[in-house]
Amino acid sequence: MSCVVVLDNGGGYIKAGIGGDRDPSVVVPNCIGRPSASSKKWLIADQLQSLEDPTSVALRRPFDRGYLTNPDLQKDIWDRLLRSLHSPTSSSSLLLVEPLFNLPSAQRAVDELVFEDFGFRSLFVADSPSLVHLYEASRRPEGLVSRARCSLVVDCGFSFSHAAPVLQNFTVNYGVKRLDLGGKALTNYLKELVSYRSVNVMDETLIMDDVKEKLCFVSLDVPRDLQIAWKQGKNNKFKCTYVLPDGVTHTKGFVKDWDEAKRYLYSADGSYERGHLDAAEQLEDRKRNRIDLTKNEFNLSNERFLVPEMLFRPADLGMNQAGLAECIVRAVNSCHPNIHPVLYESIILTGGSTLFPQFAERLYNDLRPLVPDHYQVKITKQEDPMLGVWRGGSLLASSPDFESMCVTKAEYEEFGSARCRKRFFH
Amino acid sequence: MDEEAPGSMRRTSSRTRKVASKMAAALASSDNRMQAELARLEALENDNAGIEAVEVNDDDDASLDDEDELDVVIKGDNCVVIADFHNSIAVHLKRQMKNSKRKTRQAKALEARKAPRTFMELLQEANLEALPPHVPSYLRAAVGPPSSTSRRYFCTVCGFTANYTCVRCGVRFCSIHCQVVHNDTRCLKFVA
Ligand SMILES: [Zn+2]
Ligand SMILES: [Zn+2]
Repeated sequence: MSCVVVLDNGGGYIKAGIGGDRDPSVVVPNCIGRPSASSKKWLIADQLQSLEDPTSVALRRPFDRGYLTNPDLQKDIWDRLLRSLHSPTSSSSLLLVEPLFNLPSAQRAVDELVFEDFGFRSLFVADSPSLVHLYEASRRPEGLVSRARCSLVVDCGFSFSHAAPVLQNFTVNYGVKRLDLGGKALTNYLKELVSYRSVNVMDETLIMDDVKEKLCFVSLDVPRDLQIAWKQGKNNKFKCTYVLPDGVTHTKGFVKDWDEAKRYLYSADGSYERGHLDAAEQLEDRKRNRIDLTKNEFNLSNERFLVPEMLFRPADLGMNQAGLAECIVRAVNSCHPNIHPVLYESIILTGGSTLFPQFAERLYNDLRPLVPDHYQVKITKQEDPMLGVWRGGSLLASSPDFESMCVTKAEYEEFGSARCRKRFFH
Repeated sequence: MDEEAPGSMRRTSSRTRKVASKMAAALASSDNRMQAELARLEALENDNAGIEAVEVNDDDDASLDDEDELDVVIKGDNCVVIADFHNSIAVHLKRQMKNSKRKTRQAKALEARKAPRTFMELLQEANLEALPPHVPSYLRAAVGPPSSTSRRYFCTVCGFTANYTCVRCGVRFCSIHCQVVHNDTRCLKFVA
């Protein structure tokens, strides 16, 4: 019996599982880490997630700027991961999600891994925008994305962000626009700001990822929010505190007071209900009461929104690149004018960096003035932006003609990497 | 697994710091602000900002010859580094480290079938500039410069709107108070 392994091999996280399933069975960081300089043991992917103490973990990644640069390291990670899937590679096909415009040298290296090191039966290479489109179209068969058979996928990932038009289920390569900012740069920027202003956290990538995910949000009005962040005490609704692990009483960092941290969401008229914390947040809140807090904490205020702000105004960082809204406009403009209106009406957000609260609202505010008045602008957030690509892959892998789209091991052995790759329309 | 990272040939050591401070000195005569900014952008793509610089080199055969050799490489290449704004300092440094490494440790380098490379190296090797203009590629997908060149500046010390610039490194601050903090503790941090 054959099955298809679906592998969304991101620079930040690998999402892996069996085609036809609703969700991937493994979501693990695509890296290895060494807990401290004294330790000699490198932990691989999922081992980092169960790590007791995330303090000062040195990381190595097989990806650099969104592309595979260290195949040997990738092999070690895949090796562990594929064993946990319990699907013998020699009788499995692989659906692999690769970054757009992958370099020929990286493609060759991947083909070697897939066929020579792991011995997969066959391979299909897909890109993320077309899979996201496929998934969204199948969810709403009567929706515009499905009827018009096109959409504009905005993928803000770990290494970069892409605005990609998709037409008839294919990514329109000549229309793709890339902004060289993603989750990794945002975490590093947050590390830089906090280290500058309070505690040195330059070595704390894992902890600062947690801080970013829990506390950062997108501002809808930067000058106004800077003014608010300037205020003292209770009037500053952005101020909150994160407690770093001390390695003794608590080995994970946590938000000191969730009610305080969520104040920014309460509108002036109090329409946002207070005290709605989920289970994990309540657990953290209880924790704080048990712990005798030392100085091992830092405050955040304007950093919370100045960090994601970079995606919208990279020029503020000194980068000579347009922000996300202009990225979308340029991607649309490189397509035929006939489909401009429908593209603006079917913008889909995916990727982990779109998870910041108020992301879609801000993008709309930035984009609306750049789009002709008589076009509608509609932005849809994916239900689970980290998994959307994988779910699309899972759908494709379970379609009846999937096997016929693959390159087989025999074909690879006969024709080599470059000729086989031509089949995937890249 | 042993102490060497799987698949990793890149070695970072206390020498990284030494070289970096030499770079800082070499750059003092050129456009510091530009360099500082590029180094800062480059740092946003690092995996371990702090750790890599101080990680102890636990290999036994790191010899003094190595260091002398590095010295020469760096000095001789100064003008190249300064002129080449596209390859920022860190990338260049890493390459220098690795090149000199290969010379002195050929045996080990030959063992590594697929030594890790930087993306910039792979990109240069791909020679995408040679593709005909209608072919979409990594280079052509870059979004390009913003249509408005206006840039907002935030104080690097406290984050508020910044109206002043440090004459030495070009970093922004909002007030005398933040200027003092900057001068005392942060100035030129990203070059040194
Ligand atoms: Zn200031
Ligand atoms: Zn300065």
